[in-house]
Amino acid sequence: MKRFGKLVWALLRELADENAYQRHLEAHGREHSGEEWRRFSEERLRAKYARAKCC
Amino acid sequence: MKILRGTKILGHLFWAAVAAAAAFCLGGIALNRGEHINSIWLVVAAACTYAIGYRFYARFISARVMTLNDQRATPAERLRNGHDFEPTNKWIVFGHHFAAIAGPGPLVGPVLAAQFGYLPGTLWIIIGAVLGGAVQDFVILFASMRRDGKSLGQMAREEIGKIGGFTALLTVLLITIILLAVVALVVVNALRGSPWGTFTIAATMPIALFMGIYLRYWRPGKVLECSAIGFVLVMASIFAGRSVAESAALAPIFTLSALGLAIAIILYGFLASVLPVWLLLAPRDYLSTFVKLGVVLMLAVGILFVRPELQLPAFTRFVDGTGPIFAGKVFPFCFITIACGAISGFHSLISSGTTPKMIARESHAWPVGYGSMLLESFVAIMAMIASCVLQPGVYFAVNSPAGVVGTTPAAAVAVISSWGFPVSVADMSNLARDVGEQTLFYRTGGAPSLALGMARIFARGGGGQAVIGFWYHFAIMFEALFILTIIAAGTRVGRFMLQELLGHVSQPLGRTSWMPGMMATSACIVAGWGYFLIQGVRDPLGGINSLWPIFGIANQLLAAIALCVATTILLKMHGAKYMWITCVPLAWLVIVTFTAAWQKIFSPIPAIGFLTQADRLESAVRAGAAANTAATQTLIFNARLDAAMCGLLLVLVATILLDSVRVWIGILRGTSEAPVREAPFVLSRLQTEEL
Repeated sequence: MKRFGKLVWALLRELADENAYQRHLEAHGREHSGEEWRRFSEERLRAKYARAKCC
Repeated sequence: MKILRGTKILGHLFWAAVAAAAAFCLGGIALNRGEHINSIWLVVAAACTYAIGYRFYARFISARVMTLNDQRATPAERLRNGHDFEPTNKWIVFGHHFAAIAGPGPLVGPVLAAQFGYLPGTLWIIIGAVLGGAVQDFVILFASMRRDGKSLGQMAREEIGKIGGFTALLTVLLITIILLAVVALVVVNALRGSPWGTFTIAATMPIALFMGIYLRYWRPGKVLECSAIGFVLVMASIFAGRSVAESAALAPIFTLSALGLAIAIILYGFLASVLPVWLLLAPRDYLSTFVKLGVVLMLAVGILFVRPELQLPAFTRFVDGTGPIFAGKVFPFCFITIACGAISGFHSLISSGTTPKMIARESHAWPVGYGSMLLESFVAIMAMIASCVLQPGVYFAVNSPAGVVGTTPAAAVAVISSWGFPVSVADMSNLARDVGEQTLFYRTGGAPSLALGMARIFARGGGGQAVIGFWYHFAIMFEALFILTIIAAGTRVGRFMLQELLGHVSQPLGRTSWMPGMMATSACIVAGWGYFLIQGVRDPLGGINSLWPIFGIANQLLAAIALCVATTILLKMHGAKYMWITCVPLAWLVIVTFTAAWQKIFSPIPAIGFLTQADRLESAVRAGAAANTAATQTLIFNARLDAAMCGLLLVLVATILLDSVRVWIGILRGTSEAPVREAPFVLSRLQTEEL
C-alpha cells in the first residue's frame, strides 16, 4: 500500500513537472530559486506546447 | 518441478476462465434482447477481453515481432539529458502517457454513437482497441523508441519517402483545425443558456491567471500545491454557480447565446495562443490533467459501486441511417464516430512524442503502449455506460437538434415518443430543474447527456437527488476545463506549424517570439477553426451532424497513415510474415473511412451527403421555396466546403497509401532497398535502483 502511495505521488510529481525540475537542478548542479524555476519552466513549457495535444 | 508444473496448470486454468468470462459476457450483451442489462456485463466483457489481448496478443507482438530486448539501451538512457530523455519508472510513464492520450474523444464519441444502441459501439470499442488502437500505439511507440524518439512525420519521411512526411504534416494541421472546431462546439452546446455552467467555466480563467502568477512569483516550482489550491477554487466556483443562476441580476450576464459563447471561445483561443504560456495555458493544463484523471477514477469506482442498468436497447431503429444525432448507417458511421476509444490516429503523435524518450527498458513499451490504450478504451466503455443509463427518451431529447425534432418542446417530445422512446415535457422540465438548468432540450454534442449520466451515477453513490445539480455541473466543468485546455494548446501548436511553414517565405514570420508574426499566425489558426465553429453553431441540424463525422474521418485517416508507417517498418524487419498485424486494422480503417468520406461527399440523402445538401438548398432557392438570403448562401457554401475538406483528406491519405504500397511492393520484389533505420545496439548499463 505504501509502495502504491509512493508510486501515485511520484506520478503526480511527474505530471506536475516537479520531478523534471528536480532532475534539472541535479543535472546542472544548481540550487532551487525563483529565477531557476522560471528558467526551467520556460524551456520545459516551450517544448511541451510545441507538440499536438491529443483528442 | 511438480510445483512448477502445478503453477503452470493453474495459470492455464486462470486464463481459460478469463477467456470464458470474456466470451460469456460478450455473448450475453450481444444476444440479450428486450430486457435491460446491468452495466457490469459491459465492464466484465471489456476487462476480460483486454486481459486476454494484453497477455497473449501483445505478448506475441513484443516477443516475436518486436523482439523487445532489455539489454538494449533505450534513447532515454543513451541520450539522457534530464529533460526530455530520462529513464522513468514504467508505471509513471504509463500514467504520463495515459494522461496525454485521454482527451474528450473517448468520452463524447461513445455518447453520440449510443444513438445506434449500446451494442455496436461497445463491440467496436472493445475489439477495435485490442486489435487496432492498442496495436497502433504499441508499434509506433516501439518504432520511435528504436529510432531515438523520432516523430511520426520524421519516420514517415525516412521509411516511406518525402511525400509521406509532407502528407502527415498537412493532415495533422487539418485535423487540428477540425478537432478544435468540433470540441469548441461541444462546449458551446453544453453552456448555451446555462448561467451556472458559464459562470463556473468563466471563473476558471481568473483562477488560472492566479495560479500562473502564484507559481511564477509566489511559490515557484510548487505545482502540486498550486493545483490543489486551483481545484478548491474551481469547486467553490461550482457552488457559487448555483447562486449566480438564481440571482436576477447576475444570471442574465452569464446567460449567453450559442453565437456569444462561440465568440468568447474564439477570443479565448486567440489570447491563450499569444499570452505567455506560464500565465494561462500551463496552470490550466496542470489542473485539467489532475481533474481528468480524478474524474475517470471516480467514474470507474461509481460504476462498480452503483452497477446501474442500461436503459437504451442493444440496437435502436437508427442503425438504418435515419438517426437524429447524426445521419448515416451503423456501417460505416459507428466506426468513425467512435475513434479515440477504439483507434485514434492522434495517439500515434503522442507515442512518437514524449513517451519514447522516457521508456527505461524496451519491455516497458508493452504496458505503456498497449496497456494505456486499453485503459483509454475502458474510459470509452464507461462513457457508453453513462449515456445508456439515461431513459432513451431523455437521451434523444437532449441530443437531438431542433432542426430534426421540432423547435418547441411539445413538438420534440411528440416526435421522440413516436420513435418508441416515450418522454414528456414535464419529465424534461423536472430533470432540468433538478440539475439547475432552464432547459435540456437540443443540447447536442454529447457533453450534457454524458454529464447527466455521470451525475446520476455519482448521485446514486451518495446524496441522491439533492446533489444531482452539483454533480451535473461538476461533470460539465470537468469536460469544459480540459476541452478549453485542448483549444488553447491546439491553437498554439497550429500557430507553430504555420510559422514553420511561413518561415520559408519570410524569416520574421517564422520567429515564434516576434509579436506581429505571433498575432498574425494565431489569428489565422483561430480564424480557421473559428469559421467551422460558427458554421456548426448556425447549422440547423446542430453542427455535430456535419463536423463530428469529418473529425472522425480525419482522425481515422491519421491512424491509417500511422499504420502505413508501422507496416513499412514491420515489412523491413521481417518481410511479409507479420505484416497482417498492422495491415488488418489498416485495411479495415481504409474501408471504413473511404466509405464514410465518399458517403459524406456524394450520398443522395441530403442529411448525409454535403453536395446533395448544397444542391437541394440551391434548387429550393431557385424554385422560391427558400429565401435567397446571405444565410442560405453561407449554408450552401459551407456544405461544399465540408465536401472539399473530406475530399482533400481522402486525396492526402490515398497519396500516402499508394506511396506506401509502392514501397512495400519494391521491398517484397527486392527491387527497393529496405534498410531498417534503427539506432545501433548499445548495451544497457541502467541499474534497477535507478528506476
